Amino acid sequence: MGVTCVCQLPLAEGKSVQQTIDLLHKKLEQLGAVKQGSFTVDCETYHATGNASGQPTKLLYVMHNSETPLSCIALFEGGPCLTADGNFDVLMIKLKSHFQNAKGHKVESRGSRYRYCDFLIKVGAVTMSSSARGISVEVEYCPCVVPGDCWNLMKEFMQSFLGPSIPELPSVFSSKPEGLYAPVDCVDTMTQYLEMFSKVRKQQVLPGTTR
Amino acid sequence: MEAPPVSVMPVTGGTINMMEYLLQGSVLDQALESLLHRLRGLCDNMEPELFADHELVYLLKGQQGNPFLLRARRSLSHPTAPWHLRYLGQPEVGDKSRHALVRNCVDVAASHSLPDFLNEMGFRMDHEFVAKGHIFRRGALKVVVSKLSRVLVPGNTDNTEPLSLSSLVELSVLAPAGQDTMSEEMRSFAEQLKPLVHLEKIDPKRHM
Repeated sequence: MGVTCVCQLPLAEGKSVQQTIDLLHKKLEQLGAVKQGSFTVDCETYHATGNASGQPTKLLYVMHNSETPLSCIALFEGGPCLTADGNFDVLMIKLKSHFQNAKGHKVESRGSRYRYCDFLIKVGAVTMSSSARGISVEVEYCPCVVPGDCWNLMKEFMQSFLGPSIPELPSVFSSKPEGLYAPVDCVDTMTQYLEMFSKVRKQQVLPGTTR
Repeated sequence: MEAPPVSVMPVTGGTINMMEYLLQGSVLDQALESLLHRLRGLCDNMEPELFADHELVYLLKGQQGNPFLLRARRSLSHPTAPWHLRYLGQPEVGDKSRHALVRNCVDVAASHSLPDFLNEMGFRMDHEFVAKGHIFRRGALKVVVSKLSRVLVPGNTDNTEPLSLSSLVELSVLAPAGQDTMSEEMRSFAEQLKPLVHLEKIDPKRHM
C-alpha cells in the first residue's frame, strides 16, 4: 500500500456520469495507462438501536474494498476504526437487535482499475440504492508511504488527466502530526472514501441518471 | 507492485453457519501431567502447542432481553498477532441423545483497536482472565487444557492468581450445522481419556 488520494470528480459539462467516466478512461489510455481489471468499494450503514441513556445514536459504517477482499473495515465517523476479517459481517447479522442495517443507505463505487507505471488509478461510478450519484477517483502512488514526500508528484500526475479540478492534500494526512501513512492496512483510504460517500449521500440525485 | 496472487485464498466461511460442538471437564493439578502424557499419545502433534491468552468478556446491554456477549482474546506470547473476537450463541436444545453441546459460533480476527472499538459500540468489559495451557489436535478435534487465572489489577496480566487447583479441559470441533456424527466421534475420544478426565456436555446456563 502506498499513498492514496480519493476525490469526487464533478461531471463534465452537459455529460452524464457514464459519459464523463468514458472521457476519463480515454484520457488515461492516451497517457499510456493500462486497464487491469475492476474494483469495488462499498459502505453499509448501521444505526445503534435503543441505547438506554438517550444519547444521540452513533452511526457505524462497515466497508469493503476489493483491493483487500478478505478484510472488512468498521468505523465510526471521526472515531476508532477496526480492521477485521470477513466474518465481521456475520457478526453484524447476529447483532441486528442492537445495530440495524440501513439498507437504503448502502453506497458503493464500482469501476475500472488502471495502472500507469507506479500509479494505480481507480475511476468509479458512485451509486446509492441503484441511482448514480457521482464519480470517484482514487490515485495511489505505490512506492512511497510518506505523503509529504510524494504529494507534489501525485498532484502533477493528477493534473495530467483531471485538469484543474485536483484535490487538496487529504485531511487524513494533514491531520496527522507527522503525516506518516499507516501502510499495514487501507484505513486511510477507506476513511477518505467514507468522507466522500457522506458528501454524496447528502447531495441531490442527479437528474436522468437512474440506472 | 503486482496484484496479490489469488492462489492463496483462505477458507471464506463467512456465510456458512458454523457450529461449535463442545465437551468440558476438569483435571486436578496433580493429575495434569498424566493427562498431558495421555493426550500426547492420542493426538496428532507429538508436542502440543503452548499458549498464554488474555480474555476479556464484553457485554452490550439493550433496553430489553439478555445482554449480548462477546469474547475478545489476545495472545500474551505473540503480542503482534491479531485479536480474536468470538460470538457464541445459545446452546441448541434439540436432541437430548446428542452427546455434545452444540452452539452457533462466529470467529473474527481483528486489529488491535478492538477494545476501543467495542467500547465505542457500547460494549462494556464485564470480566477478564488469563488462560495458559496446551492445545492438542486430532483431525478436526481440538483439545485445550488450560489453567485459568484471575486478573487482580484490571488490565495487568502480570499480576494474576490461579482460579482453582485444577485445569479446564475442553474438547471441541467446529463444523457446519447438522453434522451430528461429530458428537459421536467426540464421545468415543472422550471415552479414551477416562478416568483421567470426565468430559461432559455442560450447559453454561445452569452455572450462571
